[in-house]
Amino acid sequence: MTSKPLLQLEHVGHVFDDGRIVALRDVNLDFGKAESVAILGASGSGKTTLILVMCGIRIPTSGVLRWKGEHVSTLRQWTDLRRSEIGIVFQDFNLFSTLTAAENVEVAMFGSSASSAERKRRVEEALDTVGLANRATHLPQELSGGERQRVAIARSIINNPKLILADEPTGNLDSKNASAILDLLFDLQRARGSTLVMVSHAPDQARRCARHINMKDGQVVDQTSMPAREEAL
Amino acid sequence: MNHFELAFRNLKRRRARSILTILGVAFAVGSFITLYGLSRSVHENVERSFDEHGTDLTVKRRGIAEPFGGTIPEELIPEIAKVPGVADVAGQLITFAATDNDDNVLAAGWSPGSFYWTNAPLKAGRIPNPDESKVALVGGDIARTLGKQVGDDVTLLGEKFRIVGITDFHSIINRNQVIVKLADLQELTFRTGAVTFLSIKLEDPADEAAAERVSAAVEAMDRLAVSPSEGMLRNDSLFGLLTAVSTSMAWVALFMGVLMVLNTLLMAVLERTHEIGILSAIGWSKERIMGALVIEGFILSAFGSLVGIVLGVAGSKFLSAVPAIGRYVAVEPTIPLIAVTAFAAMVLGILGSFYPAWVATRASPAAALERA
Repeated sequence: MTSKPLLQLEHVGHVFDDGRIVALRDVNLDFGKAESVAILGASGSGKTTLILVMCGIRIPTSGVLRWKGEHVSTLRQWTDLRRSEIGIVFQDFNLFSTLTAAENVEVAMFGSSASSAERKRRVEEALDTVGLANRATHLPQELSGGERQRVAIARSIINNPKLILADEPTGNLDSKNASAILDLLFDLQRARGSTLVMVSHAPDQARRCARHINMKDGQVVDQTSMPAREEAL
Repeated sequence: MNHFELAFRNLKRRRARSILTILGVAFAVGSFITLYGLSRSVHENVERSFDEHGTDLTVKRRGIAEPFGGTIPEELIPEIAKVPGVADVAGQLITFAATDNDDNVLAAGWSPGSFYWTNAPLKAGRIPNPDESKVALVGGDIARTLGKQVGDDVTLLGEKFRIVGITDFHSIINRNQVIVKLADLQELTFRTGAVTFLSIKLEDPADEAAAERVSAAVEAMDRLAVSPSEGMLRNDSLFGLLTAVSTSMAWVALFMGVLMVLNTLLMAVLERTHEIGILSAIGWSKERIMGALVIEGFILSAFGSLVGIVLGVAGSKFLSAVPAIGRYVAVEPTIPLIAVTAFAAMVLGILGSFYPAWVATRASPAAALERA
């Protein structure tokens, strides 16, 4: 018996402005465990909307999403999933300017049953994993762009999610930092066995993923699996 | 880090906004304590001044709105003294009178041989002799203000009075009163044979039935109103108006303060819509987000209330120090007033946080995230 996909999208659509703008159209996708997937497409093709729909930040206007086979339909279900199963990395980091790096990471653990000491330990561990152990007490504005994205990554993995969604995680970084952030994301994905779904404009970055999804006008136009390339990297 | 620590850090790192909000709450609380305290103090100070004279019942002209405007014929004193249960009766004429340095004081004329004189505590000097005229007892505070001592002259309505004693009363009104012979003040105010109030001492002040019988008997004599000293201002129109004005000002101050705080909290929350979107994106439920915002509102209100209490007490002391007010009223906010106001401010702060928090969490996480 084959195991159920982590996340399934069945005939998912999303429209804005009373249907005048169609962002997603009849999207059918499965995401398995420990996959690395790149979502490619031109601006306005629906990549970011797809990512937001996949974590329930946007609720699709049609279709069904299933998490490990279970239909996910309510905001409460999505909130629970984002707290424990899905980590998100944004292009513009989305850190709290009033909180230190450590606090920015810890804030994602609110609502978990972990004790204060446990939280502290895991935050230290996460920051150490992303190479920021010595920057824990710095505010985001005291960090470089690359460091901020590392904090965001630490926050996204703090609850050991099964799925990490990254929306152009290197979009605001220079090439050197972009490469380091990608290294980090793929290392974490491999080490933790989580699924990484990444939106990217850059083909060279996308090549590091085992599977490519090409989008155009809100539709999936092509899917390609390329394990050999991943191995090559 | 728990929710309270998180809220503290947020507030601490948004120092300017937090301080302004705290000050908004503080001014509302402080204004209410001061103004409401002022309205209460008018009553309390008048009643305290009568208490110090050993008065059980106060008789005044029925239906006159001004507290010092009505007059009672002096010849009623011996008649009232005959009423069973009455131990003693004294009359006093009261008026605001021009004095030295273009100042005004509360002047009282006391009937000769009345218990007022025997109950008057002295700091210096003596009680006027029965046959003396144009002599005065001066309250300790007003003597200090006017720079007068025993042996000096004090002017009342253009007439000089020799100070023979300085009184040592506790109530602020009595500490600022100039007391002269009743006949002298009647002559100066063209009110010969008239007094403003009559004060009755009962044989047994604890006997409420006897007090009611005395009141009924006195009220049956003429157009007089009798009330216990502690309630003598209860039906007084002018004091009622004063109380209504100061109480209204207090409520307006509180209402404006609450609106300001609600506005500040609303703005504070709305400007953080993006942050609320991030919290939602990392798995915070609406309830948790609302809880965090309400905790911030509570902390701001609590600190604002504390600062407001300090401002309220300071404001009361300031008002008491203003000669035009402090000569007649010692504004003293009571502990229950302070406690209730601070508690109400905190509750309003919490309730006031709910609306902005609810507004903020209504937005979809995606829309919130888009608002950078």
